[in-house]
Amino acid sequence: MHIYVFGSLCRGEIDTGSDVDLLAIVNEFDKRLSGDTFSIYSYERIKKLWQEGNPFSWHLYAEAKMIYSTNYKDFIVGLGKPNKYDQCLVDCNKFFYLYCDALDAIKSGSNSQIFEMSTIFLSLRNFATCFLLGTEGNGNFSRRVALQLGNKSVKLSREAFTILEQARILSIRGKGEMITRKSIDNYMDEIMSIQIWMEELLNEVTNDS
Amino acid sequence: MIHEFNNRMSIQRTVLEIINDKKYQEELCGLSSKAIDRWIAINGLNCESDTCKIVYEISGKLFFLANKSQDCISDEYEMLSAEITNLCSELTIIQEHDV
Repeated sequence: MHIYVFGSLCRGEIDTGSDVDLLAIVNEFDKRLSGDTFSIYSYERIKKLWQEGNPFSWHLYAEAKMIYSTNYKDFIVGLGKPNKYDQCLVDCNKFFYLYCDALDAIKSGSNSQIFEMSTIFLSLRNFATCFLLGTEGNGNFSRRVALQLGNKSVKLSREAFTILEQARILSIRGKGEMITRKSIDNYMDEIMSIQIWMEELLNEVTNDS
Repeated sequence: MIHEFNNRMSIQRTVLEIINDKKYQEELCGLSSKAIDRWIAINGLNCESDTCKIVYEISGKLFFLANKSQDCISDEYEMLSAEITNLCSELTIIQEHDV
C-alpha cells in the first residue's frame, strides 16, 4: 500500500475551506480505508492513468507527496512522467456540456441551486485545467486555474468566483454559510458569460486539433 | 455519447431534485456524506429514517461509481445505475407519503 497527500495542502492554497486530499494505492479492497477519507485506486489503474496521460496522472505527478509505503519505495516517483495528454477536446467538451446542463437547471428554477452552482464551479475548474494541459502541456491544478490563464482567463469578478467556490465547498464538504437565491441572482449574468469563454477556448482547441 | 461522468452528475441531479422538492429549512447541497450529515443536522432529521437511509445508500453507490470515473461503461456500472434508479423511485414514494 502507498499513501499520498495531494491537492491544496501541497500547493500551499490553504484556507478555512481546505481539506486534506489523500490518495491510497492498493492491490485489493482494504476495509481499513474509508472512501470518505481516501481516493482509492489500484496500482493497475494508476499505471493506466499514466499511460493515458490522464489529467489526474499529471495532477499527482505535479503534487503528490508520499506519506506511507509498505515497501519504502515511492511508487509514483517510480512511474516517471505521464504520457502526453491528448484528450483535451473530448474533456473540454465534456465539461462544457456539464456547465450547460447546470446552467439550464438554474435557469429553469431548479430546487437544487447550490448543487448546480457547485457543478458550474467543477466544470469551470476542470475545463481550464484540461485546456491548459492540452494546449500548453502546463499542469495547473489550482482551484483558481480559470483565473490564471493570462489574457485567456475567465472574466469573473472575485465575488462571483467566490460564490461558486462557496457552493462547491457546501456541496462536497458540507461547510460554510448557505447561499441565498438572491445572491445567486446577483451574479447570474457573470455566470452565464462563462459559456462564451468556454466556446472561445473550445474553438481554439478545435482549430489546433 | 453522453460521457459516464456527466451521466453520474445527472443521477445526482435527479436525486437532489426529489429530496429538495420537499421544503426543508436548508436544501441538500450534494450527495457527499459530509453534505448529507449537514443536511440532517440542520433540518433536525432522524438519520434512521427511510429517507436518510436511502440518501446515504445512493451516496455510497455514487461514490463507488466516482471511484470508477475513468473507466468505460461496464456491466458493473449499468447494474449500479439501475439500482440507483430503483432507489430514486423508492425515495419519491417515501417523500410523497412522508408529509
